[in-house]
Amino acid sequence: MEVPGQLLSSEEGGGGPRILLAKTSLDGHWRGINVVARALRDAGFEVILAGMMNADTIARVAADEDVDLIGLHVGGRVEVVERILDTLKQAEVDQPVFAGGTIPHYAAERLEARGVECYPPGSALEEIVGAARRLTGTEAEAQKAAAGTEPEMGR
Amino acid sequence: MSAERDSASATERTTVSGIPLKPAYGPADVPEGAPATMPGDAPFLRGAHELGYRSKSWRIFQLSGFGNPEDEAERIRYLLARGGTGFIMEHDRMTGDHLYDVDHPEIVARREDVGISGAVILCAKDFDLALTGIDQGAYYAHAGGGVAQHAPFAMAGYWTVAQRRGLKLEQLRGTGQADFFLTYIGCPPLTQIPPGDALRINCDIVEFTAEHVPNWVPISMAAYNGADSGLNAYQELGALLASCAAHLDEIKRRGRVPVEQLAYALGGVSFRVAMDFFEEICKLRAARKMWHDMLVRRYGVEDRRALTLRTHIVTAGSAMTYQEPINNIIRGTVMGMAAVLGGVQSMGISAYDEALSVPSEQAHRQSLRIQQILMHETNIPAVADPLGGSYYIESLTGELEERAWEFFEQIQEHGGFIGALEDGFLHEVASRNALDFQDAITSGERKIVGVNFGDSDGDPFGIDGFEGSPDAFERAMERLKRYRAERDGSLVKEKLADLERTCRGDGNVMAGVLAAVEADATLGEIGDVYREVYGSWKFPVNF
Repeated sequence: MEVPGQLLSSEEGGGGPRILLAKTSLDGHWRGINVVARALRDAGFEVILAGMMNADTIARVAADEDVDLIGLHVGGRVEVVERILDTLKQAEVDQPVFAGGTIPHYAAERLEARGVECYPPGSALEEIVGAARRLTGTEAEAQKAAAGTEPEMGR
Repeated sequence: MSAERDSASATERTTVSGIPLKPAYGPADVPEGAPATMPGDAPFLRGAHELGYRSKSWRIFQLSGFGNPEDEAERIRYLLARGGTGFIMEHDRMTGDHLYDVDHPEIVARREDVGISGAVILCAKDFDLALTGIDQGAYYAHAGGGVAQHAPFAMAGYWTVAQRRGLKLEQLRGTGQADFFLTYIGCPPLTQIPPGDALRINCDIVEFTAEHVPNWVPISMAAYNGADSGLNAYQELGALLASCAAHLDEIKRRGRVPVEQLAYALGGVSFRVAMDFFEEICKLRAARKMWHDMLVRRYGVEDRRALTLRTHIVTAGSAMTYQEPINNIIRGTVMGMAAVLGGVQSMGISAYDEALSVPSEQAHRQSLRIQQILMHETNIPAVADPLGGSYYIESLTGELEERAWEFFEQIQEHGGFIGALEDGFLHEVASRNALDFQDAITSGERKIVGVNFGDSDGDPFGIDGFEGSPDAFERAMERLKRYRAERDGSLVKEKLADLERTCRGDGNVMAGVLAAVEADATLGEIGDVYREVYGSWKFPVNF
């Protein structure tokens, strides 16, 4: 897959819902996003771990790659995240967005007001995975898969 | 957790690095000959000086910087006025790490972030603003440039301002960094020069300072970011020594600076100190012995000064929690205490609002106060290596040393430190540990108070992120325009062309960058030369 910006890794063909994980700022710390990406993959999602991407690129990749959910790793100001949300709206990308990272309380309030769920440092991985399932509408399938009635989540 | 697991964990305990711990230690656990030396005796496991901190206290050395250059000057003066004994300039990471001017499209796309991680410093004139009211002749300084590709620019800026103020380069005391853990492992920028080229430039810095800036530590390997990315205590030790060895080998091969002189210069290193109290103390003790032994065995160094390692530490930012941030003051204190007991020469304590933002003034002062309380109220620094001779401490120090040498050898099997970066070995080890650490938190095996233990109600103290200076982008754009108009454009062009030739040839890149910065070339212009000559390194991660 050719993705502009800093593509750290991608896995194709997992069959689960597709998530684009991107960093909003030009701060490259990858420990947190790596841990989250692994948890989502283990839960059956197909993760495009994009690293640092600007708003236009996020919107383009989200559309081109037909993702089901966008996860933003916030390492900077809330205004930058809001610009990404504006850009997505202009580009008519209406997939749900959730966010993690160093998000101060005032920023989390602003993002949540726009429908972006926030998972600050210390959030439990199962909480993040649960949110991803809920936001992609695959909770029921995950429950069935867990019960062994269906081996894979559909998209 | 099952009942069976409960009883197992009551008897089986390890350090964070996985070293098994006995319930108690005795004489049989002490490695042969370990505690038989006094502080000041080779191999300096117990410290370089017989008087410990009575000969010289540690340096209170906190990172300072955000927003505009003037904000940085104000924060540095604030900390110096309250007892800081040196300062570290923290530049805006997005412009600095990338060597982008503020009008670069990738910066403009995220313009509100500008200044959030440090002050925006675009050329020597910005250094002058960031050093307003600060006597460069009076303080030991870190000019910024932790990132290898940023280091020559940062030092050149600091030196240029000093010279413009009438100081001589020989009078300046301070340190470079240019470490290989920060961006080659911990936080890679969008583009950076390959580590092999950075090694060449670092050796150029060493040779330049040896001749022109003799009281300046040219480079300082800092394993902090390797550790905060996941390398455990003995891997951090082994990797740090391997990164020093890569430099020593290359300088020796070039043959222009005596290896003893470089050994002294390189012997100021930096570690992370995290929450496993005794393991971190032992790591700092083992580091001194390993440095001594490596220089004696691998390079035949005899000079006492070169054989004594000087350490700076930064307490683990990753240990600071978002939940109940007031508890981070305790964490900072515990980690700072480990550093003092480990005998460090210099220290920065991460602020209690670390998980939210760069430090507010209040949080910054708090970090400084922790150091002053340890220094003046506890009497801990009165006796050198106070834990030396403890069965447990000597045993754990020996165990860490043994494992660190094993990791050092593993790195050599990957072609040395640069090879282990190029092939992603270090990233893979760090990533695996980080994932294991997270699993232990998820399972509840590792408890973090207020995070997965103790039923936090959130933030009862109302601490929120520091907002910094929201006008940093606009003001930097104005300055950039003005600087470009004010300078002799053809001179800048000439110096940048010279720099490009030097980069392609075998001249001294540090000298080339200094000449360009003296002509008021900007950060982005230096970066353009590097990008043209060296291209961009592909971060070797595929997790």
